[in-house]
Amino acid sequence: MCQVYLWNYPLYIRSVPTENELQFHYMLHTSLDVVDEKISAMGKALVDQRELYLGLLYPTEDYKVYGYVTNSKVKFVMVVDSSNTALRDNEIRSMFRKLHSSYTDVMCNPFYTPGDRIQSRAFDSMVTAMMIQVC
Amino acid sequence: MSVPDYMQCAEDHQTLLVVVQPVGIVSEENFFRIYKRISSVSQISVRDSQRVLYIRYRHHYPPENNEWGDFQTHRKVVGLITITDCFSAKDWPQTFEKFHVQKELYGSTLYDSRLLVFGLQGEIAEQPRTDVAFYPSYEDCATVEKRIEDFIESLFIVLESKRLDRATDKSGDKIPLLCVPFEKKDFVGLDTDSRHYKKRCQGRMRKHVGDLCLQAGMLQDSLVHYHMAVEFLRSVNDFLWLGAALEGLCSASVIYHYPGGTGGKTGARRFQGSSLPAEAANRHRPGAQEVLIDPGALSTNGINPDTSTEIGRAKNCLSPEDIIEKYKEAISCYGKYKNAGVIELEACVKAVRVLAIQKRSMEASEFLQNAVYINLRQLSEEERIQRYSILSELYELIGFHRKSAFFKRVAAMQCVAPSIAEPGWRACYKLLLETLPGYSLSLDPQDFNKGTHRGWAAVQMRLLHELVYASRRMGNPALSVRHLSFLLQTMLDFLSDQEKKDVTQSLENYTSKCPGTMERITLPDGLTLPVALTKLPIVRCVKLLSLPASLRPQKMKSLLGQSVSAKSPFIYSPITVHSRGEERSGKIDFQWVQGDVCEVQLMVYNPMPFELRVENMGLLTSGVEFESLPAALSLPAESGLYPVTLVGVPQTTGTITVNGYHTTVFGVFSDCFLDNLPGVKTGGSTVEVIPALPRLQISTSLPRSAHSLQPSSGDEVSTNVSVQLYNGETQHLVVKLENIGMEPLEKLEVTSKILTTKEKLYGDFLSWRLEETLAQFPLQPGKVATLTVCIKVKLDFSCQENLLQDLSDDGISVSGFPLCSPSRQVVRPRADSKPANPAEGSRPGDPGHVKTLEAILNFKYSGGPGHVEGYYRSLALGLHVEVEPSVFFTRVSTLPATSTRQCHLLLDVFNSTEHELTVSARSNEELILHAGECQRMAIQVDKFNFESFPESPEEKGQSANSKQLEEERQEARGLEINSKLGIRWTIPSLKRTGEASVEGLLNQLVLGHLQLAPLLWDVLVDGQPCDHEAAACRVGDPVRLEVRLTNRSPRSVGPFALSVVPFQDHQNGVHNYDLHHAVSFVGSGTFYLDKVPPSGQAACLGALLFLYTGDFFLHVRFHEDSSSKELPPSWFCLPSVHVRALEAQA
Repeated sequence: MCQVYLWNYPLYIRSVPTENELQFHYMLHTSLDVVDEKISAMGKALVDQRELYLGLLYPTEDYKVYGYVTNSKVKFVMVVDSSNTALRDNEIRSMFRKLHSSYTDVMCNPFYTPGDRIQSRAFDSMVTAMMIQVC
Repeated sequence: MSVPDYMQCAEDHQTLLVVVQPVGIVSEENFFRIYKRISSVSQISVRDSQRVLYIRYRHHYPPENNEWGDFQTHRKVVGLITITDCFSAKDWPQTFEKFHVQKELYGSTLYDSRLLVFGLQGEIAEQPRTDVAFYPSYEDCATVEKRIEDFIESLFIVLESKRLDRATDKSGDKIPLLCVPFEKKDFVGLDTDSRHYKKRCQGRMRKHVGDLCLQAGMLQDSLVHYHMAVEFLRSVNDFLWLGAALEGLCSASVIYHYPGGTGGKTGARRFQGSSLPAEAANRHRPGAQEVLIDPGALSTNGINPDTSTEIGRAKNCLSPEDIIEKYKEAISCYGKYKNAGVIELEACVKAVRVLAIQKRSMEASEFLQNAVYINLRQLSEEERIQRYSILSELYELIGFHRKSAFFKRVAAMQCVAPSIAEPGWRACYKLLLETLPGYSLSLDPQDFNKGTHRGWAAVQMRLLHELVYASRRMGNPALSVRHLSFLLQTMLDFLSDQEKKDVTQSLENYTSKCPGTMERITLPDGLTLPVALTKLPIVRCVKLLSLPASLRPQKMKSLLGQSVSAKSPFIYSPITVHSRGEERSGKIDFQWVQGDVCEVQLMVYNPMPFELRVENMGLLTSGVEFESLPAALSLPAESGLYPVTLVGVPQTTGTITVNGYHTTVFGVFSDCFLDNLPGVKTGGSTVEVIPALPRLQISTSLPRSAHSLQPSSGDEVSTNVSVQLYNGETQHLVVKLENIGMEPLEKLEVTSKILTTKEKLYGDFLSWRLEETLAQFPLQPGKVATLTVCIKVKLDFSCQENLLQDLSDDGISVSGFPLCSPSRQVVRPRADSKPANPAEGSRPGDPGHVKTLEAILNFKYSGGPGHVEGYYRSLALGLHVEVEPSVFFTRVSTLPATSTRQCHLLLDVFNSTEHELTVSARSNEELILHAGECQRMAIQVDKFNFESFPESPEEKGQSANSKQLEEERQEARGLEINSKLGIRWTIPSLKRTGEASVEGLLNQLVLGHLQLAPLLWDVLVDGQPCDHEAAACRVGDPVRLEVRLTNRSPRSVGPFALSVVPFQDHQNGVHNYDLHHAVSFVGSGTFYLDKVPPSGQAACLGALLFLYTGDFFLHVRFHEDSSSKELPPSWFCLPSVHVRALEAQA
C-alpha cells in the first residue's frame, strides 16, 4: 500500500487492496501526529540539512507506516504490510525519493494549483508501477 | 487485581489511600458534599517535622485491588471514613454495626477508621469517641476538616511505627516473604531456609520499606531502600518485585524532579501556582515544598543544612533520562507476568505522564503503543470505554491530537456497540463531539465558511455521519438535521454523486418530521451555531437592480454649479475623487422607491447532480422595513449560472442594506449572509430608498409596435407606438396618462427628442399644448388625463438626382435671358414631358421609399412625498413613424413674370403614391395627378425681400461659420417661401391630406431669382409706375420717362449710363428695332445716374415722342462699363416698358 499526502489533508491516496479504505484513512490521519512530532523535534537549525526520510513512524499489528517530509513540509506516508519483510529501509527510502521527484514534476506543471488533489496521469502510473513492484 | 486505575500517576506512590464510603441511605448529593470537603484535606504537614503526608481519597475501591497492598503500599487502603445518616438513637446500634461490617471489608490493611454520623443528636452524640464524630446536619459540620486532619495524623503514627518497625528489622529475625495474590500458591513447599529465598525476602522487604518511607514523606530514605531492593532482587531474578522496586525508584525520582506533579489535574490541585523548575527544587527537600510557596519562611527553616542527605540524594536520585530507562525496564519486568497486566498498564500510564512533562512525545507514544497491546482479561464494555477514553486523553496530553481523536471515536463507538443492551447514544454523541477538533472540524460556521477546506475529508465525513446517526438515536432530530446540513454544506466538494443523493434523501426524510431551522441549538458543552446551506445553490453574484427606466427616480437638479463643484474643481479629470469611498461603503448610486417592487439579481448554480428545488427564497435586509416576496425555483442538475431575481417592497424610507438571502432547501431553512459567502461578487449592497412617487401609465391612440428604437437611443423606452404617414401629413396622437400609483401626480413636464436621422426634417415634428392637460392636475390615483400631440412629418420633397441635373442648365438659361420671350415658354413643356415617360418616372420613386423617423416623448412627472424630496420620474414614449412619400418635386425653376416684382415658380410634381392625388397651391386651382404621374405646376409669386428679415445670425458674431450661416439663411428663406406657397396635397380615396414643402429643393440659383434685387429699378411713364401693365399715351405727346433707382444694398453703386432702346414685338419672334421714324427722343436717349449711396435714391428723366400708334416696348439697356461688372447681372433687372401709343385725341 502506498499513500501520498500533503499539508494535513490528502492530495493523493492510493491503496491496494481498495476495500476497507477507511481503515487506511484513519491510519494515515493518525500517523500525522507522529510526523508533526518528528518534524518539530528536529528543531529549526537542522531543517536545512536534515534527512527527509523519517523512517518508521509506528508499527501496528499488520502494517508498518513510514514517513517522509520534504523541505516544504509536504508529507509522504507509506503503509506496508508488516509481513512484507523483503522491504528494507533502503528500499523504502528510495521509493520515497522516487515519489518526491515525481511530486516535483507534478508541481512543475503550471496548470496545477498547489493544494489541489493530484490528478496527474504520470504520477498515477509511477505509483502504480511502484506498487506492482512491491506487492 | 483486575481493575486498572488509569488516573494513576507517579506521585500516587507517596500517598496514603483512604476510602470514603456511605453507609446506609445517604443521598448522593450529601455524600459528595462531605466527600468534597474531606478531599480538600489532601496534604498534611506532620507536626514537628518537615515531612508532608499526601492522602488519596477514593469513594470506591475494589477489595481485590487492596490485596496488592503489600506489593505497592499505595494500593493499600489504610484508612476508612464512613458517612452515615442517623436520626434517632434507636437506629444508632444498627448503624454502628454497619460501620463495622464495612470495616471488615478492608480490615486486613486498615490502620484506622472513622465514622461520621449526621443528624443524630442527644445522649449518644454527647459521648466523646475517637472513631465516631457526630454532626447535627450536613450544613452544620464545620469541624469535619479538623476531624480528618486528626484522623490522618493518627494514620501517620501507625505508618511511622510500621516503617520504623520494618526498617529496623535486622536479618537476625526471620523476614516474612511478602507476595502478591497470584504468587501465593507458587511458594508452597519452597525451601524457606535457602539463601536465595532469604535474599528474596530481604529484597522484597526493602522495597516495602521504601514504599513506606515514601509514603511517610522520607523521599531520601526511600531512594536508598529502593536501590538496595533493586540490587537484592536483581540477583535473585525476582522480576515482578524488581519491576516494582524500579518503579518505586522512578516514582521517588519523579516526585523529586517534578514537584509540580505529573498527573495533570491532581498535580495542579496539589501545588496550585507552583511551577518550579527542577533545578530550584533540587535544593530543597520535598518536605519543604510548602515553605517554598511562602518565601518569608525560607530563611528560617527552608534549607535543610543536613549536607549528608544532599550528597546522598544526588547519588541516589535518577536523572530524568534514567527515570525513563528504569520505567522501561520495570515495564519489561512486569511484562513477564500475565497476571501483572494491570500493574504494567498503570506503569505505562505513569511513564507517559512523566514523558509528557519532559516533552518527549515520541517516546511517550511508544509507551502508549505498548499499553494498547497489553491484554487484560476480558474487559467489560464500560472498562473498554474508559480505557479508550484514557488513551485518547493521554495522546492529547502528548500532543497527538489525531490519535487522541481516533481513540475517542473508538470509545464512542464502544458506547453503542451491538453487544450492549442499552446503547449509550448520548455518551457516544458527547464523545464524538469531543473528537471534532482532532479531525480539524469546527461546527462554528465562522470557521468553515472561510478559506479552503481543512482536514481530512474522508475521515471527517465519516465522523459527521456518525454524529448525525448518534444524534438521531439520541432522540434529537433537530440536532441530526443540523449535523446533516452541516455535512452537506462542508463536505459538498468531497461527496460523490451517489453520496450527494443519499445525504439529501435522508435530509429530506429527517426534515419531513422536524424542519431545519436557523435557531441555535444548545449542546451540553456549548453551542451549535446554525448551519446555512450556502452552497445549495451556490450564489456567485449578487446585484441590486435599479428600477426599470420608467420607474427610476431622478433627482431634480437644483443648481448645476453645486453638483459640479461638489465633485471636483475640474470640468474633467481622469482621477475619480470619491469613487474609493463609495466603493467601500458599498453604496450604489441609484435609488429604490418606497412602495415599489425592487429587484435583486442573483447568479446561482446548482452543484448537485439532480434537480434542486429551492423554496421560499427571499431577501434579508436591514435598515428599512422591507416586505420580501419569496420565490421558489427549480434548478436543473449541474446547471450553469442561472439568474434569479428576488423581489421585495420597501415599506419605509432610508438606507436599505441587502445582507443576504434565505432559502428552504430539502426542508432546511437557511439564512445566508453575503459577508460569509466566499467568492461572491457584489456591486455594493446598500441602496437609498426614497419616498413614494406616483406611477404613470400611458396609453395612446396609436397601436403599440414591437419595433424598438435603435439601441443608440440611450434612454430606455417603455412603450413604443408606430404610425405610418405620408410625407407632409399631420396626425394627432392622443396620449392617455393614467396614474396607477398610490400618490397624486402633481407635476408633469413633456419634452421630445428626435433621434438622429439622416433625413432632413422641416418644421416641428412634434408639438403639443400642455396647458389643457395640466388643468386636470393634480391627478389622483386611478384618474386619467389626456394630452394631444401633433405629429407633422415634412421631409424633403425633392428628388435629388434629377434636380441637380436639370437645375444646372435651366437656372442659367433663365438667368441668361432676363426677358423671357413666349417662344421660350413654348419650348419648355417639351423638355418637361421627359419625366412623364415610365422609364424616367420610376426613378424619382426610388430614393423616396419609406423612410423612418423616430422620436422619444419624455414625460417627467412627480408628486406625493417624493416630490417634496425633489425626485421625479420620467417615462419615455417611443414614437416610430414610417413616412411614405407622397409627392415629389422633381424639378424646380423660375420664370420671370411680367412684373419685375413677381416671378413664376415652376414645379414639376410627381405623384409617387399609388393613389390619385390632387395638389393645390394657395392661389391655384387643383391639379390632379394619377399614380406615378408627373406634371408641371406654375405658381406666380411675389418676389421676396429677404433682406428685410432680421438677420440675427450675423449679429451673433463673425466667428460663426459662414457656410453654416448661409445655410441658416437659406432655411429661413425656404420657410418664408413655403408659407407663401401653401402647397397641399390630398388623396381623395384615402381621405388624407398633407402639405408639400419646397423648402428643401430651393437652391441658391432659384432663390436668387425669387429674391428682390437690392437695386430696385422703377420705370415711370408719365409719372405712373409701369410694370407689366401697358402704359397708354397719345401719339404726338411727349411721354415723360423716369428711371428711378433705389439702392438697398449695403454699398454705394454707380454711376450708371442707361440708354433706352424702343422696339416692336411682332409676336412671331421678330423684334423690330428700326423705329427711328416712329419714335423719337426728346432730348438725349441716354440717361445718366450718379453714384447712389446705400439706401439712397436716384432718378433720371427723359422724354419720348411716339409718332405713330402701336404697341411699343422700351428696353432700358446699360452701357457696359467697369463698375457694373462687379455687380451680379440679376441686380440690373429692369422691367421692360410696354407703351401703347394711342390715336391722338382729336
